[in-house]
Amino acid sequence: MPDLIAEKIEKQLGTAQILNGVSFQLQQGEILALLGPSGSGKTTLLRSVAGLERPDAGKIELRGKVVFDAASGFEIPAEQRGLGLVFQSYAIWPHRSVFENVAYGLRLRHAPEAEIRQRVGQVLGRLGLGHLADRYAHQLSGGQQQRVALARAMVYNPPVLLLDEPLSNLDAKLREDARAWLREIIKQTGTSALYVTHDQTEALAIADRTLLLDRGQIQQEGTPEQIYARPTNLFTAEFMGSNNRFEGKLVEVGRERGRLEAEGWTLWGRLRATKKVGEKATALIRVERTRLGDGPGADRLQMKLNSALYLGERWEYLFQLADLRIRAWGEERLQEGDYWVSVPEASLWIF
Amino acid sequence: MNRALRSLAVIGVALVVFGPLGLIFYQSFLSEAFFFPTAHFSFGAYRYVLADSGFHSAFGTSLLVSLGMTLISVPLGSLLAFLLARTDLPGKKWLEPWLLVPIFLSPVVLAFGYVVAVGPVGFFSLWAKALIGRVPWNLYSLFGLVLIAGLTHVPHAFLYVSSALRSLDPAVEEAARVAGAGPWRIAVTVSLPLVLPSILFSASLIFLLGFELFGLPLVLGDPAGLLVLTTYLYKLTNLLGVPSYHLMAVVALSIVALTFPLVYLQRRMLRTAGRFAVIGGKGQAFRPLPLGVLRWPAVFLLVLWLAVTVLVPLVGVALRSLVSSWGEGIKLSEVLTLDHFRELTGYPNLVRGIVNTFLIGGIGGALSVAFYAIVALGSHRWQSRWVSFLDYLVMVPRALPGLIVGLAFLWVFLFFKPIAPLRTTLFSLWIAYTVVWLAYGLRLISASLLQVKPELEEAARVTGAPQGEVFRYVTLPLIRFGLIGSWLLIFMMFVREYSTGVYLLGPGTEVIGSLIVSLWGTGALDLIAALSVIEVALVGVVLFIALRVGVRLDA
Repeated sequence: MPDLIAEKIEKQLGTAQILNGVSFQLQQGEILALLGPSGSGKTTLLRSVAGLERPDAGKIELRGKVVFDAASGFEIPAEQRGLGLVFQSYAIWPHRSVFENVAYGLRLRHAPEAEIRQRVGQVLGRLGLGHLADRYAHQLSGGQQQRVALARAMVYNPPVLLLDEPLSNLDAKLREDARAWLREIIKQTGTSALYVTHDQTEALAIADRTLLLDRGQIQQEGTPEQIYARPTNLFTAEFMGSNNRFEGKLVEVGRERGRLEAEGWTLWGRLRATKKVGEKATALIRVERTRLGDGPGADRLQMKLNSALYLGERWEYLFQLADLRIRAWGEERLQEGDYWVSVPEASLWIF
Repeated sequence: MNRALRSLAVIGVALVVFGPLGLIFYQSFLSEAFFFPTAHFSFGAYRYVLADSGFHSAFGTSLLVSLGMTLISVPLGSLLAFLLARTDLPGKKWLEPWLLVPIFLSPVVLAFGYVVAVGPVGFFSLWAKALIGRVPWNLYSLFGLVLIAGLTHVPHAFLYVSSALRSLDPAVEEAARVAGAGPWRIAVTVSLPLVLPSILFSASLIFLLGFELFGLPLVLGDPAGLLVLTTYLYKLTNLLGVPSYHLMAVVALSIVALTFPLVYLQRRMLRTAGRFAVIGGKGQAFRPLPLGVLRWPAVFLLVLWLAVTVLVPLVGVALRSLVSSWGEGIKLSEVLTLDHFRELTGYPNLVRGIVNTFLIGGIGGALSVAFYAIVALGSHRWQSRWVSFLDYLVMVPRALPGLIVGLAFLWVFLFFKPIAPLRTTLFSLWIAYTVVWLAYGLRLISASLLQVKPELEEAARVTGAPQGEVFRYVTLPLIRFGLIGSWLLIFMMFVREYSTGVYLLGPGTEVIGSLIVSLWGTGALDLIAALSVIEVALVGVVLFIALRVGVRLDA
């Protein structure tokens, strides 16, 4: 049985439709990322699960128990859902010590004092906070606060852990370390987790499965590899990674392939939408799949080098051909002039 | 706090607000005071009041005073706000707390202070006469009243304009400076126009307060025969020999009819201007605008205002309390005495008044803060129609001058027999004070509540805490300093309050403020001076404590 089932969740705020019939399931022990640009409704969805927002329509089940059902008007308040939530701002209670912050959930559950000490000590120890138990929020670094927030949400073993952009307030270096660490901790405890983020790298790295949301609707759902390497629509393809975009007209359609053409160029690519000859279409290729070619060929375009930017670990080249501008990465500095750019058919998706 | 309790809080507020107001409304349609068995439905009171030429002239005077004081206090207050919020005015850290002092001084004490300082035989008047041969001013005139009302309301304009200026992105001023504008030009063409919504808001507030003035026109307008609506109402009390409650009710309603639209207008203005909408800036430290050669003229302006508004009346009160008599040809050093303070102890009602003032400020203030906190928490993070109803509800007392609330509660205690015995206890005074300061008190508490980020409470809820437990564990501990600060501020407001107690004044309910008003009618200047000094000292001590513990006065 899944730990969490959300069915056709809808939510309107004023005139804006924040959630537009979102459904998903969270399997036991699974980490599910809710990924999307700001305004996509991912945080509203998380807060609806937590019970902090009330959806207008839909149904939410936790471990087989209905906690919200718009049809019957049934709702279990947030405090009785027994979930754990890590806030983006951490929301550490500033007037309580680290120990008291973490212990609060156990106190509310009337755990005996000895058990509270033992369990809080255990979770603090596991998160590397053992020596900070008596500190207050303002005496902690951002990374430590984030771990206190996690400890507070985990200590009473909630069936589902909810995380709302937990790493976005950390600086870039710390975030990379925290990513791996966070996944490890969640996997160790075996709880299932719903993880909201706008950062695709974070979603890919941490989650077992990702839900890509846009304007209150699920665009694509799948494993990180599926989302990144096999997008089923233009939004997903464009949202992930860095891309080169080709606008043109379909001039030839074959088996799952098509030829896109515009002024000065024509290219074969994989057809990922049902389109007919003569229709306008957009093609996309990840920048890392766009390479410098060694000479002319079927998937080659001769383009002028506009500029080359040194980015440290690589060079970024900007090529132009009529109105078409594309980017490619390489290892060396290029002199001005014309080059052959390779746009492999297998990596070019036409929508 | 569950639904039922929250609804109960709202209903409680509705009761204490609409009960008294409803009684005034009812009384206004009776032929005489409601406790006469012969009282019956009648428009007579309306006919009498609306045809009375005294009412017409009081209405005209009120309008002139309101307009005049707005025109004085808003430009001056805005200018001072700019100087203190945005420039490198010398000594501004030290000067700023003084700017808000007039808010905590009782107008009736200030008015009395002006009388003994710059009245026809005031200390400063006689000193001026000794110097130049005549008194160059006339306190007892419409102009004198308007000027003093204007100067004492500068802090209200200062408060709103400076808080808006502080949230203004300093970059817009720096841009003007780089373009070549001097400080004066920046103020007039950039900063002040950008906070125009707040300036207009403070103007409408001061215009409203103009109609509620009581202490200043009572003391300063009387000798010149000037009556405003509130003093006209006060005079009606003794006009006919028998209690003319029906006439008073009509006058009270006519004042409310003027003030209520103004309060509603302000609410609309607040919504559009958004008091909490930060225009820009990240609150980072910025370099104040250098005033250059204007530094010292600016300091002079501020100090001059302080001297005229605070120093002159307070020096007057203090000196008057220390002299046995005063007039032309008397040397100050020969008449100094402490007798007036000794004299006070001979009047049991005055002694009770001092004790009661302390009790109503200390204990009453604490109880009121508790009440405001319950109401504020009742509507805190609660999406409900009750909350918007409460929003409108707390507007109502803002339109009610203390004098009228006091009158209304007197009637309530006379009208509802079961609670009649409470009339002669401090409880009657406390409930009237609580209603008069309801909007102010709720604003203090909500300002503290705004500091509590919603996630802190949500975190407790998700952890498993029911609503009441969330308040107990998270919200209340986080706002406890705000509550203490609110208590100190309410203490000062209750101590300086005078008009609310005027009608409730009786054995057992004496407080310094209303005693001064009633003594003013008997001309006992010595006792008034001594009482005033005690009141100012009481407020001064609490103000000092409040500033020391870091309470923000500009709530």
